[in-house]
Amino acid sequence: MKLAVWSYQSPAHVGASKAASSFNKIHTIVRAPKGDGYGTIMLAMFERLGVSPPLTISALTEATLAGDRADIGRMIADVDGRLHPEMIVITRSATASVLQEPLDGEIAMIPPGTIKAEIFQPSVHPLRDNEISAFAKTVAEIVDHFAQDGVARTPEPSVNIIGPSLLGFHDHSNVVSLRRLFADLGVRVNAVVPLGASPDQLRALGSAWLNVSTARELALPTMQKLNERFGTPFIEDVPYGEAGTTRFLRQVCAILELPSDRITTASREAKLLWYARTVDAHALSGKRVGVFGMPSAVAGIARVLHDELDMHVEFAGTFALDHGAWLREQLRDITDDVLVTDDYQDVANKIDATRPDIMFGSQMERHSASRFGVPCAVISSPCHILNFPLGHAPFLGYEGANHIGDVVNQTQVLGLEHHLIETFGPRNQGRFAEAAPEGAPEPAAPVSADLTWDETAERLMGRIPFFVRKKARANIEKYAREQNLAMIDESVVLAARQHVGG
Amino acid sequence: MFDETPNVLERDDFCSLAPIGWLHHKMQDSFFLVVGTGSCQGFLQTALGVMIFAQPRFATAMLDEDDLAGRDALTALMPLAKTVVEKHQPKAIFLASTCTPEILKMNIAGCAPPIERETGVRVYPARMDGFDASYTQGEDHVLESMIARAPQTDEANLVILGCLSALEEAEIRLECKAMGLPQPGFLPGESALDVPAIGPKTVLVPVHPFLNGSCMFAKRERRCTIPVLPFPYGPDGSARFYEGLAAAYGKSVSYAEREREAWAACEKEVAQLRGRSIAFCSDALLELPLARTLRAAGAVVPFVSTPRIFKKFHAAELAQLGDLEILEAPDRFETFARLAEARPDLVVANLNIANSLEGMGFAVKWSTELSFQPIRGFSCVPTLFGLFTASLRRHDALAKTRANVGSAERPIDLDFFRLAPAREESLA
Repeated sequence: MKLAVWSYQSPAHVGASKAASSFNKIHTIVRAPKGDGYGTIMLAMFERLGVSPPLTISALTEATLAGDRADIGRMIADVDGRLHPEMIVITRSATASVLQEPLDGEIAMIPPGTIKAEIFQPSVHPLRDNEISAFAKTVAEIVDHFAQDGVARTPEPSVNIIGPSLLGFHDHSNVVSLRRLFADLGVRVNAVVPLGASPDQLRALGSAWLNVSTARELALPTMQKLNERFGTPFIEDVPYGEAGTTRFLRQVCAILELPSDRITTASREAKLLWYARTVDAHALSGKRVGVFGMPSAVAGIARVLHDELDMHVEFAGTFALDHGAWLREQLRDITDDVLVTDDYQDVANKIDATRPDIMFGSQMERHSASRFGVPCAVISSPCHILNFPLGHAPFLGYEGANHIGDVVNQTQVLGLEHHLIETFGPRNQGRFAEAAPEGAPEPAAPVSADLTWDETAERLMGRIPFFVRKKARANIEKYAREQNLAMIDESVVLAARQHVGG
Repeated sequence: MFDETPNVLERDDFCSLAPIGWLHHKMQDSFFLVVGTGSCQGFLQTALGVMIFAQPRFATAMLDEDDLAGRDALTALMPLAKTVVEKHQPKAIFLASTCTPEILKMNIAGCAPPIERETGVRVYPARMDGFDASYTQGEDHVLESMIARAPQTDEANLVILGCLSALEEAEIRLECKAMGLPQPGFLPGESALDVPAIGPKTVLVPVHPFLNGSCMFAKRERRCTIPVLPFPYGPDGSARFYEGLAAAYGKSVSYAEREREAWAACEKEVAQLRGRSIAFCSDALLELPLARTLRAAGAVVPFVSTPRIFKKFHAAELAQLGDLEILEAPDRFETFARLAEARPDLVVANLNIANSLEGMGFAVKWSTELSFQPIRGFSCVPTLFGLFTASLRRHDALAKTRANVGSAERPIDLDFFRLAPAREESLA
């Protein structure tokens, strides 16, 4: 056993179900206690799905523990009959795997012909795999299952984009940005996998000329499998930044034998390298930054900050332990200090010790950095609802480079504001006013002369969240005056709540 | 006395670890040590994420392959418990067993006494697995564990069972005083060590409809009196609740006037509820009392879904629901289909399906808020009804904006809910 208060990665079944439920016409059933279904809530909330998620929890109950497994067959039939998927993917949580249910037997017992969908169980190990490896494996195996041999290459140059998914970091925007990039190049996007890919598209994956990805760690097994089966070349680099995107497109043009002047067309809206030259961005030079998150994001963002904005990468790192060596190699010319850990405290200690001017990390680094007054931009999963924007906010391609510039700029401006307030603000203001913790004594408020608050009433007020206390106090005093009461005790507080509300 | 543990399949629900959110907030000197897997950790940080950044008083003892292969639980847990004591200095540790230890039949409860001896900190073992009908029942198991440590007594004291806010507790204290009843003890209190005495003459009164298990346990172990009362939601429920408290002590007190006053005081909210239809999706077991008081306020409740009915424990509520249609432990799609027929003005549903239902064209009030807002007693009536009226008002306003710009309302697709006829037979 190991004590944990925070994990960067979700368990394997969440990675597998995130991958599987991103496909079109594929439904996922997770065999798990209902509590394991928190992935469904994330899907429903973060993706703001207006439909029932293509993900169902087959909940373990007391009856299951007693050996009753008929419910899984019933659920498969239910999903098949109601939603008509082409494939039903079944995955188990660690808890369910402990039960060692012979699900194959249950599935075999479904009468032939009653189920139209294919049943598929990815070879994910509930304990040994993690979110990233389970995701990558699941995509690769489903792709391998559907991809058909002997499909002809498309007449025009084409690519498959591997990696984007539901709950992926800014993936909807990234896909739009990459599609525009390839359109400018005159390259057709054959399929985006898994996000929205239907079995028909998967069957024709071998017809693309090239495979590229939005995150190497999520896409490599799929790209390798397609290379093995169809000889399709692939690019491991992910297009972060303006220079990074140009380098990426040069590789694309070389492989597809396209004239590289098309890159000029694609880059017409790119502004990051110009922004870096402007006076406003001079202040960024030599600014010390830390970068932590998913391997590809860190490799990409650290290089943008270093190469394109002339910032100093104090340290970089990832929580994906299997990819630490790769990341170290990628950043060899940028920083020696590469932190590979899945303990958020290590990262927090690093931020504390190095005190970078700006931190770039996951949601957790944002919180850690704020403890030390370090501004932080979120550039990687795991992230919160703020990173599921309504508008177009890509991180990849030329549009992504522009957006990264905005992110740096906005984070930096906040830092500057802070500094200005410290320097020029009124002495008693100092740092930003901190939120009073609940239950903390209120600073002495101007007390109305005609009313007295007794101890019982004050104690109750102390339990009301600080941000509504002032309004509540005013309401209660108004009520007391109406009732001609001079003394406010807890019964008056309660009566006022009843008559005037909170 | 009450009903046995249910066997239900419930699809749209949280984990029973969720009550850690409000229980650790209430008992400021407690620590919740959850023995489980990455899923438990994932759930906790997703559900209670914001609290993680403020020195959380909960953590997961993550099981690894050695634990699953049969390593002694106590050997593995002891050093973690010591770390918790050293770092957080809690007065009590709640040692929560989850699904995996239950399946493996690990004796987590058996680890509590030796850890308590070794660390000198009280340890309450509690089952908080996801096999329950509703996530709120996690609180039920925690309270059961605390009742086991209650001192004995021969006094006819009064114990209010269930986690309440300071406001709700204050009202109950004042009402008891006014009626000349004993000053109530509250379980849980502000300290995890503060457990009121319970004996054969004790009157134990649950305030939540999900505390069936701990009440059964108290009844069996301490022979205390547990009156079956409506739960104190709304003016009607609160009035009957207080009258019931008095009756348990042989007093006849009428709250009719108080109830009339309370209805008059919230007339503004009630006017907005009158005639509007509100349906409930299965969630936290709060559905029956909420439906009862909304009906009393003049709302129309076409049907209620609830994860489980405890016929004896919920008897006082059921008696007032009359012919109301209740779906017990429904399938998600069964509820959807029923909603599509009823087309209520407002659907109360949890976070799993709230957005989906909005996408289908329903107006939704997310239900989770109801399990952590102070909504019990007379003084909280405006808060309680306000949650529903605010939601109705918001939906009405937004629907008007959409109508003004001719934004098409999403039609409710009935076909989606229906199985192909051939399939229905094969499922039967």
